[in-house]
Amino acid sequence: MIHFLRKIFLVDLLKGLWLTLRYTPQPAFTFQYPKERRPTSPRFRGVLRLQLEPGTGAQTCIVCDQCAKACPDDLISLGGHREPGQKLKALDYFDFNLSRCSFCGLCAEVCPTKPVKALIMSEDYELGSYSRESQILRVDQMYDGVAIESYTR
Amino acid sequence: MGLIDHKFEDNFITTNLDTVLNWARQSSLWPMGFGLACCAIEMMATGGPRFDSARFGAEVFRASPRQADLMIVAGTVTKKMAPVLRRLYDQMPEPKWVISMGSCSNAGGPFPTYSVLQGVDKVVPVDVYISGCPPRPEALLYGLMRLQDKIRKEGTVLRRERVIKAGQTEPILVEG
Repeated sequence: MIHFLRKIFLVDLLKGLWLTLRYTPQPAFTFQYPKERRPTSPRFRGVLRLQLEPGTGAQTCIVCDQCAKACPDDLISLGGHREPGQKLKALDYFDFNLSRCSFCGLCAEVCPTKPVKALIMSEDYELGSYSRESQILRVDQMYDGVAIESYTR
Repeated sequence: MGLIDHKFEDNFITTNLDTVLNWARQSSLWPMGFGLACCAIEMMATGGPRFDSARFGAEVFRASPRQADLMIVAGTVTKKMAPVLRRLYDQMPEPKWVISMGSCSNAGGPFPTYSVLQGVDKVVPVDVYISGCPPRPEALLYGLMRLQDKIRKEGTVLRRERVIKAGQTEPILVEG
């Protein structure tokens, strides 16, 4: 008898709808991505970037080639020359093949420059490109602050 | 669309029609979820309520290639999977686009081995490459917006086509 009444008054259906109604007044859960950026966690590993010395803008990379040796997929290739009379090498080229990179961070981990690390994993993750050639980042695209074009639409 | 594709010169009617058609194409991209590895998890997250690709009209993941406009290749493409991928791409109706998501489908990723295809562009033409291992859902949305930009610049009924010249990153329009 009770079973029959439950069926007539649609008790199970109303129970389910009550759950739906309870969640309805909550604010939307969605991140409006191009407008708001989700903060990255402190150890987030985005695209590799070269850093300049903050105050002077001097080059920090000492062309020690350790990042190229640490990379498990051989994606980094860099070279420099030594000016006569200078102690530090100047960076000529730094090619980073982004297309294969698995963002493991081993290259940034071995970078020995102090106190400013030359090579860092930045927070940039917007990495869309139209061709495979443009995924090889050259040295002028590697410096921090050269942001990949951002969306404000 | 085959009857009017790239058949008309620039004038008031055709350019406006082109804008409307491109708007319709860019804002209802139905993706075919080609989830092959861990990138598929991020792709599913993009379709979910947190990131919600429905805001861009790209939430209806179709199981059948005949109902899809966009193929999101998410994950490692093995050489065994490559002919299947090509067949599914051929079964998709025009107009169709391909997003290569993640390092594995961009260039083979950390697998330079005999069994893995070194880049999905060896079997299908790719429109947008998204780097990341895996890319965040936001990165996939960014790639989707880059693709929408590309579709907006296309000539649909106009006699012009987009071409990416070697060594350039942005497509340019040429007379077709």
